[in-house]
Amino acid sequence: MEQREQQGKTAAVKGTDMARKVRGMVKNIYQSAHEAKQAGGKVAYSMIMSQYDEILRAMDIVPLPTENFAGVCAAKRQMDRFLLQAEADGYSQSLCSYARIGLGFDSLRKEGSGIPDNSPDGGMAMPDMMLGSSSVCDPRYKWFQAAGRFLDVPRYNVDVVSPPIRANLEDTRDYYIRYQKEQFRGLIAFLEKQTGRKMSDDRLWESIRLCDEAWRLWYEIDRLRVAVPSPMPSQDHFSIMAAAHYYAGTQIAVDFYQGLYDEVKYKAANKNGVVPDEKYRILYGAGLPPWHTLWIFNYFESFGAVFVIENVYRAYDPVEVPSSVQDPVEYLAWRTFLRVTQWHEKASARSGNPYVEKLLEMAADYKTDGVVFHACRSCRASTLGQTHIKNLLGRYTDIPMMQLTSDMVDLRDYSESQWKAQIGAFIEALAARKRG
Amino acid sequence: MLFAGLDIGSTMTKAVIVDGNEKILAALVGPTGAEHRHLAFQVMDETVRKAGLSFEALDFIVATGYGRINVPFADKQVTEITCHARGIRAIFPGTRIIIDIGGQDSKGIKLNDAGTVANFVMNDKCAAGTGRFLEVISETLGIRLSDLALISAEAEGFVKISNMCTVFAEHEVTSRLAEGARIAEIVAGLHEAIAGRVVNMVRHLGIEKDVVVTGGPAKNAGLVKAIADKVGLPVWVPPEPFITGALGAALLGKGFAKRNATRNQTRRMESVTFFA
Amino acid sequence: MTAGAKLDELYKNRGVRAKELHNAGAIVIGYFCCFVPDEIITAFDMVPYRIQGSQSEPIDEADAFLEPMACPFVRSCFNMALKGSYDFLDGFVAPHSCDTIERIYGIWSHHRPSPFNHMINVPHMQGPSSEAFYRSELDYFIKSLEDWSGRKLENGKLIKAVSLYNERRKVLRELYDLRKSDPPLVSGTEILKALVAGMGIPGAEHLALLRRYVAHVKERPKPRKDKTPRIFIWGSEIDDAAFIQLVEECGAQAVMDDLCTTTRSFWEEVPETTDPVEGIARRYLATHCPRNDVPQKECSRISDLEQRYGYIKKFIKDWAVDGAIFYIVRYCDTCELEGPDLREYLNSLDIPVLMIEDDYSISTIGQLRTRIQAFLEMIG
Repeated sequence: MEQREQQGKTAAVKGTDMARKVRGMVKNIYQSAHEAKQAGGKVAYSMIMSQYDEILRAMDIVPLPTENFAGVCAAKRQMDRFLLQAEADGYSQSLCSYARIGLGFDSLRKEGSGIPDNSPDGGMAMPDMMLGSSSVCDPRYKWFQAAGRFLDVPRYNVDVVSPPIRANLEDTRDYYIRYQKEQFRGLIAFLEKQTGRKMSDDRLWESIRLCDEAWRLWYEIDRLRVAVPSPMPSQDHFSIMAAAHYYAGTQIAVDFYQGLYDEVKYKAANKNGVVPDEKYRILYGAGLPPWHTLWIFNYFESFGAVFVIENVYRAYDPVEVPSSVQDPVEYLAWRTFLRVTQWHEKASARSGNPYVEKLLEMAADYKTDGVVFHACRSCRASTLGQTHIKNLLGRYTDIPMMQLTSDMVDLRDYSESQWKAQIGAFIEALAARKRG
Repeated sequence: MLFAGLDIGSTMTKAVIVDGNEKILAALVGPTGAEHRHLAFQVMDETVRKAGLSFEALDFIVATGYGRINVPFADKQVTEITCHARGIRAIFPGTRIIIDIGGQDSKGIKLNDAGTVANFVMNDKCAAGTGRFLEVISETLGIRLSDLALISAEAEGFVKISNMCTVFAEHEVTSRLAEGARIAEIVAGLHEAIAGRVVNMVRHLGIEKDVVVTGGPAKNAGLVKAIADKVGLPVWVPPEPFITGALGAALLGKGFAKRNATRNQTRRMESVTFFA
Repeated sequence: MTAGAKLDELYKNRGVRAKELHNAGAIVIGYFCCFVPDEIITAFDMVPYRIQGSQSEPIDEADAFLEPMACPFVRSCFNMALKGSYDFLDGFVAPHSCDTIERIYGIWSHHRPSPFNHMINVPHMQGPSSEAFYRSELDYFIKSLEDWSGRKLENGKLIKAVSLYNERRKVLRELYDLRKSDPPLVSGTEILKALVAGMGIPGAEHLALLRRYVAHVKERPKPRKDKTPRIFIWGSEIDDAAFIQLVEECGAQAVMDDLCTTTRSFWEEVPETTDPVEGIARRYLATHCPRNDVPQKECSRISDLEQRYGYIKKFIKDWAVDGAIFYIVRYCDTCELEGPDLREYLNSLDIPVLMIEDDYSISTIGQLRTRIQAFLEMIG
């Protein structure tokens, strides 16, 4: 029996031309991994924000971001068979759905001795190694451990540590940076063994320079987005973040952001907004995006509500590593520490919560009228604490806030009718506040 | 020798009496919904009378199902998983996989060469993939449960129901209706969704033939067809899918009696107490 | 009162003894999980209190502050804190054990701050640099506790605390040895109660009770051999005896376990080093929690599983286990990823496994009965 075509679409209409180029870049992630394998190169399952991107680039290891693959599956609504396979293998439906898709994919590959037919973007090439980390959440190292059931390749996980909010940075800085450096050194030793090649410090420095430059440009782009009307919406952000994360440490990322910077600057200068009549400016407060239903941003826009900025993926602003740091690995360790402690001081001085401080600053700079959070049923790291942040924010601002619940990829946790009802009520609250 | 099996499910109570040759002397199905719980023992009583027997003549009584724990007149209690396995084995000796769709839960059971349980799975405290899911949604659609099969037979395709949460799915069905989807294809979509859920759970056991579907909803040919499509193998349905658990219980009773298992010395024909 | 009755009373009335000590002027430090060393708190002449939830109380108030997709154990603990059950704590210490515990630290200490609040960062990785880092975190914890309390940690006292808790570990292992006989002299239900009872009282008091209890159990008449299946229980936070009791009621003997409320918290001793913090760091970092990543020695599935679960093989053999039941608290990502791996390993040892995912609530335990009983019928 054939499935009837579902009405409506899932992808969002983008605001910028550059964002429309990202699809090809994402496709190329998987393509270049296949090519690397054919050419005898090394491919690694990897996790973004592990702070090791430049090390991989410096050693010509092609990263395969397994979480992104899950997002791609969801955006194309081709996630079910992977989710179901993982669940049949004994993984709970409450487990991280990115991990379920990845494990389901690897399980099907093992079962059928090859990439499952019609996998999105050609599927993930067989990796030579798996490199997880404790950055962001627990499944990001546990997943690769579990994947050993389906893949006979070595794994190496690194710790990425960040001091608790009330910790005294003077007391902790030295040993945090030391540990971070040792973790990276361990990774490098592992990679050298896998590739049979020494890492070159010069190449690492070059990769760092490119990465920092891309992230600086990205930061500048976001600063341009304070413009009214908004020159670039959040659905674009969820595309264009691909360059900084999946092409970190490459010229491709720098060129991409230079192009995007020029476009956004032009749009801002010419008051070329996302929608003709921008009534409400929304802050995307926290949570992974609903990859399965990104058109929801357009649904908001149909009420004149534009998502102008977001607190996810561009997780840190550029930082200044002391010039005394001469070793590139030490530089990475320092940069990690500075990135993760960026909001500590402000948080200690007021709300006690770094995200609250960041969101308050964004709400003021971007003149937002409301905040929307997205809770994902299978993601602890991006979801837990949202309610707390929302409660705290309420002490300092009276703009309406709303938490939508579904999942980043699992459509079974999403209810369109419920969302539309919630969004309707939220828009009314925004309107009521505008009327004063 | 006479043996009885009583299967007290969340919505129905089923009783079966067999003789020493494993021939069914009487079988009966009665309600056990919240308001009928006290009637569970009456089902047993009526079955005994239907067979023209006296209660005292029964050599061994096995209780199974959700309400099996405190049955004052049973000699032993055994889970419905073991009972279904035994009952189905008597009907279809070559069975390897049993899919039991109950009112409140669904189960997959794998049998080994000897026909005993090798592994099993149960769904998780959730109406999805159970008879209850169909009940709720058919109510939303204003259709009688017994008509679902006929209606879905008219469908040329199906509307995908992605939410398995019963509450969400209700919403989803309402929206699809509002968008103008045909009822027949929505019903087919529901069968597709339940079948997907149940078969996926059972895949965990490794599906081999023969596959048998049992439990009340197995009477719905539309659902059974959707399951067969997912399984990719022909599936068998017992002539009376309701009573396979009770039959298995009765047959197990014969085995217990043969091995001289201890009998309940204080058998009382009284109400069954349900645990919370 | 017999030691068994006393332990039972402490199990039922958790917090009573700690409250009594707090009211008498003692400093009670509450903490989560298996990564905060009792030894350090004890050496400060303070009382360590392992925070527990309640599997029988519904979670209501917590939902206004914490999303329902958080681990229900943590939600339950926080719910109790909101209701004032943990107001007697003078200190609140959360280790960075997992995503949920890490997140609850900020929320809890905002809504129900203790006079002293601290988070210990625990590495997920293992190896020399991780040990050194964890050691620094423990040093920082000690410094924070010194600054707050005005007390100075004495090395001699810490060495003494290490031997006190090692002694307790020894007596607990002795108690576990009494489960080796067929049938065991002491039930899984009794063991869990004896362990949970000790989580909120000074180590010395628990040790004294355990010594009496072990002597008493040893005198029990040897029960007649039976054919009851011997079950190994694996999971995380089981601090209510209801689940293990259910397993035993269904006709099994719970003879061995690997839970963070049981063996995981006490089995291995702290090496008695001249620098006690070093030994403590080494011991606690090696805790068998699924949140730890045991590094691969070589690239092979068999060796990886052996590396991670070799210690369980010994449990299975020495306690003559017939089957294993996993109790996984829903929304625990690390346990949910660990379960299928451990099942694979145990199946390779011909141990059948029943994997249960549950909500840390005894209200739904009846539904587990069928599964457990069917599993026992299957392996029996």
